[in-house]
Amino acid sequence: MSISTEEHAKSVPSLSFPRQTFVSLLVFAIVWEVLSHLAPYLGIPPFAIPSLLRIARSITTITPIDIVVTLARVVAALIASFVIGLALAMAMYRSEALNNYLHPMIRILMAVPVVSWILFAVLWFPGVEFRIGFVLVVVCGPVFLVDTLDAMHNVPRDLRSMMRSFRPTALQFFIKLMLPAIVPTIFTSWKVNISLAIRVVTIAELVGAVTGIGHQLSVAQELFSVSDVFAWTIVLVALLFLLEALVARVEARLLRWRT
Amino acid sequence: MNGPLPIEVRGLRKVFRQATSGQAVVAIDRLDLTIAPKEVIAIVGQTGCGKSTFFDLMIGLEAPTEGSIHIGDKSPYSDFDYFRGKMATVFQQDRLLPWRSALDNAKLPLELIGLPEAEQRERALTWLNKLGLGGFTNAYPHELSGGMRQRVAIARAFSVQPEILLADEAFGHLDEVTAAELRETFLALARECGSTAILITHQLEEAIVVGDRIAVFGKSAKLLADIHVAQWPKERYSELREAIQATLQSQKADVRLG
Repeated sequence: MSISTEEHAKSVPSLSFPRQTFVSLLVFAIVWEVLSHLAPYLGIPPFAIPSLLRIARSITTITPIDIVVTLARVVAALIASFVIGLALAMAMYRSEALNNYLHPMIRILMAVPVVSWILFAVLWFPGVEFRIGFVLVVVCGPVFLVDTLDAMHNVPRDLRSMMRSFRPTALQFFIKLMLPAIVPTIFTSWKVNISLAIRVVTIAELVGAVTGIGHQLSVAQELFSVSDVFAWTIVLVALLFLLEALVARVEARLLRWRT
Repeated sequence: MNGPLPIEVRGLRKVFRQATSGQAVVAIDRLDLTIAPKEVIAIVGQTGCGKSTFFDLMIGLEAPTEGSIHIGDKSPYSDFDYFRGKMATVFQQDRLLPWRSALDNAKLPLELIGLPEAEQRERALTWLNKLGLGGFTNAYPHELSGGMRQRVAIARAFSVQPEILLADEAFGHLDEVTAAELRETFLALARECGSTAILITHQLEEAIVVGDRIAVFGKSAKLLADIHVAQWPKERYSELREAIQATLQSQKADVRLG
């Protein structure tokens, strides 16, 4: 359970901008810009590699409402997935029979490709929001569940018997021991799921949605606007980093005992 | 309960079934033992003699296969919740919760019995101070030495002022100086609290120094000798140690133990 300060520092994404990152991004930008100018001479259509200026112009046309909508979908679905995953994990931890019945189903759910879930959602549900929510929950929920359940089983036996020797109620046992013990895993699970949800929501929004970043990407593709695709992709990546940094901040605060 | 009650162990038997072979292993075979209120009893025996199983049965974490343990008229297993706040444990490893400070660890049993927050804090601080940890109340376990962590574990056990205190090799992993110091503190606090104390140990020296009584366990927790230490003058302690050693080796009570 213990983690060194150095390891902990590595696990928390830093908001500072290291020189190496800046240099690599700068090199990429220069290469891109040069390629955008050389494209016609290389037989590449000019729209395929837009200049940085053009991408910057596309960024200025980004509609904040689509960012908010996508963000809201991701956050709401992650919270729902977490609550369902945690509740099921607690029930499966308490009941071996339930665990034996549900575990194979969860393994199967996790093996189904995201595209299949999207197609199922389109065929099963008429409402766009419900479709997107369903896909996100069915993809992220099992990750929360499996991680949380594993973490519960990994709580050291010594600590469990110590706790039981003081005769807690079932609720006290979970609140005082199990939940704090699995918090580090919960944070790791959140970080994994944020990245997963951002990617899945984009694909889910491509099908049928009339708002959100995925929808805007679909529009950009229909207009053959690589600069718009690039701009929205930058927004998605920034959104991912922002959410990860937010989780890392909360993690650093709640797990300050490890430092 | 008004003060500790006698502990009666009658015909206690515990059989485990090995997960792989399904073979039955008799850990405790028909043990009879009576422990008087406020008595400090040390239980000694070789590895695998059933000491730790006896500890788990005493705490109520395991059910006896046959026989019974009664504290007054209650069973620590069947009346599990009844003993909340009345029984406390110290283990070989400190088993502190790493996300809690020393103070919060010491408070843990008090939270479980639902004392008001101010009282929890006051009582936990009192016991931490008694154990010489007044300046380290906000330290996390990883910031403390092994001896200090074990002191926190002892403070945690005493914080509920238990009627029955169980310690399983509680000083076994510490260096001799720290262990001797902690043993002395533990004994003084147990007497101050008026608790019945059961110490499981494989160290004869510890058993002789701490116990009013020493129960020598053979294989399957067969009671080989029941020694009242007070009957042995201090100058005969080395003879007592040799007699217990001989008993453990031969698995028969040495003649010197009577």
